[in-house]
Amino acid sequence: MSGTARPVEVSVIVPVRTTHAHVREVCTALAEVMDRLGRSWEFIFVFDGVRGEAWRQAEQLAALHGERVQALYMQQSFGESTCLAAGFERAKGAIVATSPQYVQVEPSEFGRMLAELDRGADFVAAWRSGRVDPLFNRLQSALFNWVMRRIMQSSFHDLNCYLRVFRRQVLEDVAVYGDMYRFLPAIAQRHGFKVVELRVKHVAEWTGRSIYGLGVYARRLLDILGVVFLAKFTLKPLRFFGMVGGILMLAGSALIAALVVQNLLFEPGPIISRPIFLLGFLLLVLGVQIVGFGLVGEIIIYTQARNLKEYKVERVHEGPAAGGGRDGDG
Amino acid sequence: MSGQPEISVVVPVYDEEDNLPLLQREVTTAMESLGRAYECVYVDDGSRDGSLQVLLALRRADPRIRVVEFARNAGQTAALAAGFDHARGRIVVTLDADLQNDPADIPALVAKLEEGYDIVAGWRRERHDGFVLRKLPSKLANRLIALVTGVSIHDTGCTLKAFRAELVRNLPIYAEQHRFLPAMSAGSGARVAEVVVNHRPRIHGRSKYGIGRATRVLLDLLAIRMLSGFSHRPLSYFALLVAPFATLFFALALAHEWTRAGGGLDADGARAALVLLSVLAMVVVYFFMLGLLAELVVKASGMHGPGEARVLVKQMERGP
Repeated sequence: MSGTARPVEVSVIVPVRTTHAHVREVCTALAEVMDRLGRSWEFIFVFDGVRGEAWRQAEQLAALHGERVQALYMQQSFGESTCLAAGFERAKGAIVATSPQYVQVEPSEFGRMLAELDRGADFVAAWRSGRVDPLFNRLQSALFNWVMRRIMQSSFHDLNCYLRVFRRQVLEDVAVYGDMYRFLPAIAQRHGFKVVELRVKHVAEWTGRSIYGLGVYARRLLDILGVVFLAKFTLKPLRFFGMVGGILMLAGSALIAALVVQNLLFEPGPIISRPIFLLGFLLLVLGVQIVGFGLVGEIIIYTQARNLKEYKVERVHEGPAAGGGRDGDG
Repeated sequence: MSGQPEISVVVPVYDEEDNLPLLQREVTTAMESLGRAYECVYVDDGSRDGSLQVLLALRRADPRIRVVEFARNAGQTAALAAGFDHARGRIVVTLDADLQNDPADIPALVAKLEEGYDIVAGWRRERHDGFVLRKLPSKLANRLIALVTGVSIHDTGCTLKAFRAELVRNLPIYAEQHRFLPAMSAGSGARVAEVVVNHRPRIHGRSKYGIGRATRVLLDLLAIRMLSGFSHRPLSYFALLVAPFATLFFALALAHEWTRAGGGLDADGARAALVLLSVLAMVVVYFFMLGLLAELVVKASGMHGPGEARVLVKQMERGP
C-alpha cells in the first residue's frame, strides 16, 4: 500500500462517542473491503469529547497509515451531526461514507453499497436485515421509521443505521446541523437526490440496552417536529403557523358560538361569566397569536430569500446546436 | 449567436415528454407570426421521463431553444425563477408545458404589454377543469386576492403571463410566489393588465395539482399582503392586524363602565369582564412586540439598503 500519491476516492467519517469504541476493527474491516475493490481511502475519526483507548488505537492507525487516517478531537461532546460536519470539512474524497463506531453490518456489504453509487445513486443508506438486537429495540425502531415514512412521505426503513455512503455533492448542498444527521437520507431525497436503501446483513449492535431514558424519546420527538417543519414549511412558515393558529381559532369560535346558541335557546343569562366562554376566547386569542408568529416567519424568509437558493442547475444547453460543444445527451 | 433576443419564452417542464414536440411547434408558429427575435428557455425540473432527451432533440433542430437542466427536481417556482435568471429578452413570457395554455395567445399578451404595462396576466375565462375541484376554489381565491391586494386579477393561477424583464429580475421569487407576482409587484408600483386566453383540456399526462393548493393559497394571501405593501415597515402591518382587537378592547371597556354605572353585572360577571379585557390588552401588546421583532428582522437583513442611506449621509457630511 504505497499509493500515497493517489487521490483519495472514499472518505470514511466515523464519529467516536465512547472511549472503548472499536476504532481499529472498523478501520481494518472497511479498509480491507476498499483495498479489495481497488479504491483509495482515508479515515477520519472524530472524537466527540472522548479519548481513552479509542484515541490510542486511532493514534496507532495514524502512525501505520500516515495521512490516510486522521483523528480529530472535539473539546466537548457536540453530537453526531457536528462530528460529521467537522469530518466533512477535512474529507478529500469524492465519495463520503459514514460508519458507526463499531462494525455494525457485514463489512462486505460496504462494497455493495459503493457499487450502488456507481450505478447512479447519489446516496446509499443501509437497511439492517436479520437484526441481532433485542425485539423491543426493533419494535421501537420500526415504529420510529413508520412515523417518519408517514409524515415525511419518504420510503426509509432504517434511519437509525448510520452506515451510509454518498456523493460529496449531498453534503455540499444539504446543510446538516443539530440532530438532522439521523434524517439525512430523507432530507437528501427531499432535495431531489437519488437515494437508495440497501438491505444489509446486521452483525452486531453496540448496546444491549433497548429502553432509553424519557429524555431520549422527548428529544427524538422534537427532532421529528423540527425536521418536518423545516422540510415542509421553510419557505412558507405561515402555512404551518396559520394552520395551527387557524385550528385553534376555529375551536375557540365554535365554543363561543355554541354557548351563544345555547344561551339564546335555553337558558338566558350573561354568558360572559361562563368558564367555557373564557376558554373559547382564550383559544381564539392563542390562535391569533400563533398566526402572528407565522407572519414574523414570513418576513424572515422574504428578507433572506436571496440566500436560500432553491434550485441547482446541472448545465445549460445553449449556443449553436449541431451536436457539438457543450451539448450531448445528458 | 444571432444577436440578442427580444422575447424570451420560459417554459418549466416536469415529466411532459409527450406534450413537448407539439408545444414547441405551436410556440414556433406563434412567435414567427410575431416576427421578432425570440428564444425559448425550457427549464427541465429534473423530469424522470424522457423530457430532457426530447428537449435536446428539439434543440438540435432549432438553436433558438435553450435548455436549463436542473440537477434535481426543485418545483415549478424554482423552475420559473431559473427561467427568469437565464432569459435574455427584454420581455419574458411564461407558459405551462402541459398544453393547457395556448401559445397562440402570446402575441396578444406581448401587444398588451407594449401598450405600456409591466405585467400582463392571462385569464382563462373558459376553464376546462372540474368545477368543484378546480374552478370554484380558484374563483374564491382570486376574489380574495383582489380584495386583499387591491389588484383585480381574475386568474392568478394561470402560468401564461408576460413580464418586462427588468421587473422580474428585482423580485425575490421563492415558494409559490410566482402566482402572486402581479399582486406583489403592483404593491411596488407596477402596472398590471389582463388578457383573456384560451384554456384547453389536458391531452397527455395527468394534472399535478389538487384542491389542497387552493386552501393553502388563502394563508399565503395574508403573507402576500404584508410582503407586497409592508416589507419595509412590518410594524404597521401588525398594528393594522391588531386594530380590530384594540377596537374590541375599547368598546368592551366602555360597555363595562356603562353597565357598572347602571349596576348591571354581578360579581362573577365583573370578574369575567376583567379577565376578558386583560386578555385583549395582552393581544394588542403582544402584536406590537411581534411587529418590533419583524422590524428587527428587516433591519438585520439589510434588504432595504441601509448602506445607501449611510453613503448619502457621509456625502453630506463631507460636503461644503
